[in-house]
Amino acid sequence: MGILGNIVKAFKGGASEVGEAIVDANAVRILEQEIREADQAIHKAKQSLTQLKATEIKLKREVSSLAQDIADYEAKAIQALEQGKEDLAREVAERIADIEAEHNDKAAEFSTLKDEVSGINNMIRKREQVIQKNKRELDKIKTVEQLQKTTAKMSTNFAATGNSQHRVSDALDRVKAKQQNWRDKVEAGQWMEEQASGSDLDNKLKAEGIGETSSGADDILARLKAKK
Amino acid sequence: MSIVFEDLVYRLNEHTTAEGTSFDAVMNDNGVLEIVCSNNDEFSIHMVQTDTQLLTVTPLFHVSEVKPDMIDELNAQLLHLSPAMPLSSAGIQGEQYILFGAMALNTYFENIVHELEVQAENTLELLEAVSPLLN
Repeated sequence: MGILGNIVKAFKGGASEVGEAIVDANAVRILEQEIREADQAIHKAKQSLTQLKATEIKLKREVSSLAQDIADYEAKAIQALEQGKEDLAREVAERIADIEAEHNDKAAEFSTLKDEVSGINNMIRKREQVIQKNKRELDKIKTVEQLQKTTAKMSTNFAATGNSQHRVSDALDRVKAKQQNWRDKVEAGQWMEEQASGSDLDNKLKAEGIGETSSGADDILARLKAKK
Repeated sequence: MSIVFEDLVYRLNEHTTAEGTSFDAVMNDNGVLEIVCSNNDEFSIHMVQTDTQLLTVTPLFHVSEVKPDMIDELNAQLLHLSPAMPLSSAGIQGEQYILFGAMALNTYFENIVHELEVQAENTLELLEAVSPLLN
């Protein structure tokens, strides 16, 4: 049974201490062992696959070379027949028969090997499926284990303090109060900014020469020029 | 592949989001990363990882905090609320109601931060919605 099934079983059983009961350490070991074994089998299969594939390629080359030889000799036999050299043609035909026998042997060997290679490929795919399936299952188990860690401290704290009335609503009130406090601060900040821009207005007026008499360098220079 | 929690702690503690949320992250003894988001500092987020995913869990309340005879109503409400919450889902872990999210291990830091910020907000909204059913 998978971990999800175990969770339902534990829940139905009314298990309040869900946890240890769900994660079966033995099942985890078995899953991990299966993954390791499948990994090793795949590794070995891939090694032998490399050799078999090399042989398969070599046989394929030989088969096609023999087929070419047969075609060549057939053409030559026809030529001999055309020239009325029946004996020579017979000799060629005998050679063709030999080559054909060899060709058929190699072709049969090639076909067997090809099946073997595809069989090993299938086996690798199946093993990989086992690995993927087990890894997913392990991940679920680890998720449950990790989830238990996240609430373990909480449950211990809870057991220590007991059932506190209004804990959640009190906490919510505190968060709301803090948020209100924060909003008040933002508002105060905006007010301060407005005040600051208010004094900016004074500066602006001053710059325009309104409401303020200033004796800048230009004024002094103008005064001096007037005295000349 | 795994996320190095120590790096994440450092980056989270340095980070502030566009919405102004900052984070206090500490590693617990049992390998759980506990994160307090400034937009909700009452309900911390507990982060753990498996071989394939990053899990963010906010413990909400204990079964015993639910008003007597209201468990079924609460469970039904949570089932209705869960799909409507962005990035988070509600569930039960042991006797603890939780809000949780899951991310792939290769999630970018910015997306992790976003998930945390949203989960902290979802927690407040969800608790507010179901608080009439709690003690």
